[in-house]
Amino acid sequence: MPLPSTAHITQLLVAWSDGDQAALEELTPLIYEELHRLASQYMSRERAGHTLQTSALVNEAFIRLIDWKNVRWQNRAHFFAVSAQLMRRILVDFARARNYAKRGGAAHKVSLDETALVSQSRREDLVALDDALKTLAELDERQSRVVDLRFFGGLSLEEIAEVLKVSVGTVRRDWSMARAWLHSQLNKV
Amino acid sequence: MTPERYKQIGKLYHLALELEPEQRGTFLDLACADDEQLRREVEALLKSDSEAESFLASPAIDLAAKQLAEEQLLAKVGSRVGHYRLLSLLGAGGMGEVYLAEDTRLDRKVALKLLPEAFTKNEDRLRRFVREAKAASALNHPNIITIHEIGQAGQSHYITTEYIHGETLRELLHRRKMTIIESLDVAIQAASALAAAHQAGIVHRDIKPENIMVRRDGYVKVLDFGLAKLTEQQPRTSDTSAPTVARIDTAPGTVLGTANYMSPEQAQGRAVDARADIFSLGAVIYEMVSGRPPFEGESSGEIIASILKTEPAPLARFAPEAPGELQRIVSKALRKDREERYQTTKDLLIDLKSLREELAFQERLERSIGPESSGARAIDSGGAAVATAASAAAQTGESAVRTTSSAEYIITEIKRHKVGTLVSLVVLALAVAGLVAYLHARNTEVAIESIAVLPFENFSNDPDAEYISDGIAESVINSLTRLTNLKVIPRSIAFRYKGNQGDLQKIGAELGVNAVLTGRVIQRGDNLTISVELDDVRYGNQLWGEQYNRKVGDLLAMQREISSEVSQRLRVQLTGEERQKLAKGSTENPEAYQLYLRGNYYVSQFTKDGMRKGIDYFNQAIALDPNYALAYDGLAYDYCNMVGWYLPANECMPRAKDAAMRALAIDETLATAHLSLAIVAQWYDWDWASADRQFKRAIELNPKNQRIHGYYSWFLIEALSRVDEAIEEGKQSVELDPVSPEGYNFLGFTFVFARRYDQAIEQLRKGIEQDSTFWLNHDFLGRAYEASGRLPEAIAEFQRALQLENGNGENWSNLAHAYALLGKRSEAQKILDHLKDLSAQNYIDPYFIAAIYSGLRDKEQAFAWLERAYAARSFAPAFYLKSDPQMDWLRADPQFAEIQRRIGFPH
Repeated sequence: MPLPSTAHITQLLVAWSDGDQAALEELTPLIYEELHRLASQYMSRERAGHTLQTSALVNEAFIRLIDWKNVRWQNRAHFFAVSAQLMRRILVDFARARNYAKRGGAAHKVSLDETALVSQSRREDLVALDDALKTLAELDERQSRVVDLRFFGGLSLEEIAEVLKVSVGTVRRDWSMARAWLHSQLNKV
Repeated sequence: MTPERYKQIGKLYHLALELEPEQRGTFLDLACADDEQLRREVEALLKSDSEAESFLASPAIDLAAKQLAEEQLLAKVGSRVGHYRLLSLLGAGGMGEVYLAEDTRLDRKVALKLLPEAFTKNEDRLRRFVREAKAASALNHPNIITIHEIGQAGQSHYITTEYIHGETLRELLHRRKMTIIESLDVAIQAASALAAAHQAGIVHRDIKPENIMVRRDGYVKVLDFGLAKLTEQQPRTSDTSAPTVARIDTAPGTVLGTANYMSPEQAQGRAVDARADIFSLGAVIYEMVSGRPPFEGESSGEIIASILKTEPAPLARFAPEAPGELQRIVSKALRKDREERYQTTKDLLIDLKSLREELAFQERLERSIGPESSGARAIDSGGAAVATAASAAAQTGESAVRTTSSAEYIITEIKRHKVGTLVSLVVLALAVAGLVAYLHARNTEVAIESIAVLPFENFSNDPDAEYISDGIAESVINSLTRLTNLKVIPRSIAFRYKGNQGDLQKIGAELGVNAVLTGRVIQRGDNLTISVELDDVRYGNQLWGEQYNRKVGDLLAMQREISSEVSQRLRVQLTGEERQKLAKGSTENPEAYQLYLRGNYYVSQFTKDGMRKGIDYFNQAIALDPNYALAYDGLAYDYCNMVGWYLPANECMPRAKDAAMRALAIDETLATAHLSLAIVAQWYDWDWASADRQFKRAIELNPKNQRIHGYYSWFLIEALSRVDEAIEEGKQSVELDPVSPEGYNFLGFTFVFARRYDQAIEQLRKGIEQDSTFWLNHDFLGRAYEASGRLPEAIAEFQRALQLENGNGENWSNLAHAYALLGKRSEAQKILDHLKDLSAQNYIDPYFIAAIYSGLRDKEQAFAWLERAYAARSFAPAFYLKSDPQMDWLRADPQFAEIQRRIGFPH
């Protein structure tokens, strides 16, 4: 599978962040491709409990996808925020489409718990998370953005602090509370 | 919820997080005052925070990729590999995908690992691996997984091993912290597996928590001996017998083994011997005790650097309770220079074992010192809680925002006046709470492995609602019984506590369980309120409680919710197969479910009327849901019960068979439906081979069912004359549920057939001790007395049976037979007349009439009625004739042999 050019993806992301809706259509299949590539790596990888490898893998994915250096510095915060939102949109659509395709059968949703490769079928999934995040945005806008940037955008707490122009401590507290709240929402009966 | 409220919750959440977990309860008491809702919200978040360590821990794209990977792996489920059928995916990793599979030749479950093609392509490597795995499988050590086969089907290479119910040490570690004793138990078993392997010259090379399985009972199995060979490159030296070299490749996208447990020599790509396993096991022990691996890093490069250079932090930093001797053992195993390590696994094993013994001794000692000293310890830990509370308060600093919230006020006050009155008050409260939380925390760490579900109490005015209160408890029992790792007290035992559920801890102790589920049912018209409570009876705390207010129509949904909640609370890990089991055979139709419950309720009364009503209700349930396998199953067994007692065989046996077949058409795995088929095959079709098959299938599907073993016992002795095996089966039947009267009934009557009357009497009496209203035990006990010549006692028992059930021809016949033997011919004759009257409303099996004539020594009539029984295909010729002591008087007659010949017992 030919790898999508990082420069091209970056270009598309910048275009989308500048309001070019057509860029999304071009981006989606590229991210799906990346997903499939990651999936096949998973299948040949040691299971469970390898946070180290997992995060390395994802960093790699992001480095692969986006040519960060060429992103204009003054747009950086905006660009991060928009990319995270875009990733959220594409992945949630992806999850929704797959859940839909399997409805009626034994729906097997992806678990947000990274410990198990073969996850238990739980209530939580990306679609439910997306809904809960919308509610969270109404309760605390900044917390929902922290989750966007970290979970969908893959940013570190320090990077998020920079993007949101708040202290790292605040980001850490936001993240802790948001995560606990989302977890409790998704595990409600 | 409003943003303001959310903010308020957030503040308390963050404040509480700064405290030690055990202090939070008291803090919230004070901070939330009367606002219960607020308290619940904050607690829910704190709980989430502690549970959610891995929640959202890796980025979304990664999870979506996992989903895809899973789907692709799951796609193989159902397909065949050689003579194996893949049933479900157990896991996947760098060493391949592991499936639960069915060996279609030997009809057993195995774990099947498909090896990754990338590794099996290299034939030389594959050969070396096969050689190693074969050598390992020859070890035959209880802690080494048994390899069944190393095979190839098409392009796929696979290994099948025994299937172990349990989890990997990795999963266990992820779930909870292990105690020192637990860690030592695992370490000792793993070391003993390694010692055996090393002695045979086999090095594992990849000891890590993923390769150690821990069964629920604590039994350890080491997996994947030799598998590491697959990932290894050719040895550097030309000598092929030399140890091989680990591959460490940090290029992106390549597979890495787990670096964390690798020995320094492996990390450097040097030759490997048994001492590498010792190092890896040392790293595993370190992680069990401390909760983290000894060598960590952001990348495998960093980990390797750490393995080569860094000394791991002392265990005591993470596990203050770790004894110094354990530190010494772990340090010695983790020496970088292997010459300084334990030189043999045996030496390590000896040290581990003696430490284990020492700790056990200490534990016994502490326990024997008694409650006074434990009180002293409690004060100690209370003191510790005070200290931590104080230091937590001291450390918090001045940064917290000042508000008018009472909670923050309190916290701020603690910070300001460390010795003030308010502080000592709060600290005292915190200390008490800390102690309580400490005691609680201990037990939540231990998974619950056994449970009793007590009959739910019916608080309705309507006694008719009892079918709900009994039924729902029974359904929960049935659901939970299907889980492999959970011991569930059988219904017959649990239901003895009906109406008598005072002290749950006492009940728990009597039944030897960790947890008890109780419930109350209130029905008012169409409204149903069910409250349930799950208690950990070891420590007397409630694990879960819930109230359901629903319509009667939602009963089914409630039962499912309760079962699933309970299994979650018990931290029972359900496999996919088990989840299926929980749901199989059931109905989606709530009304059908209620009818089914009613049916079961009446059948369990074990009377003619109850059995009749059972048939009605099962049929109604089936009418509502024609695919309700359990209803067919219930119907089949109900018909089997009625044969000869209340219905002629040709009326009920075909129906039993039909119902059982329908049940199996929907769910082939219903063991009890196979039992019904077996009964019909033996009693009615006289098809011994088929009966034997069905019994065996039933046992295979549910080896824990008392009835199946019981009926099989009777089949073995009566049809196959295999006495010893029959007695064994009967004993198993008793053992499976020693408090039920049925097991003794099975074993007792098998002893009657075996002519071992003293043992029969002993067993049947035990059965009556358990439940004196189960009339069949009186009936059989009477037969045992009669056959051993104790006629008055026999008559007394037959009379008791009749008091409990007088619509049954067998009970009358027995009494008449005993009268006849005693010379009371006229009494016997009266019963004969009575039976003729009774036969107007109730079917009387001709065999029972024959038995009376046999007692009266009227050979002509006896044979005439036996012939009728034969012609009617009564159940009794197949069931009783061969060994029935009541027929002994006729046995010498050629006509008797002739009837036996016609029945065609196998020789």
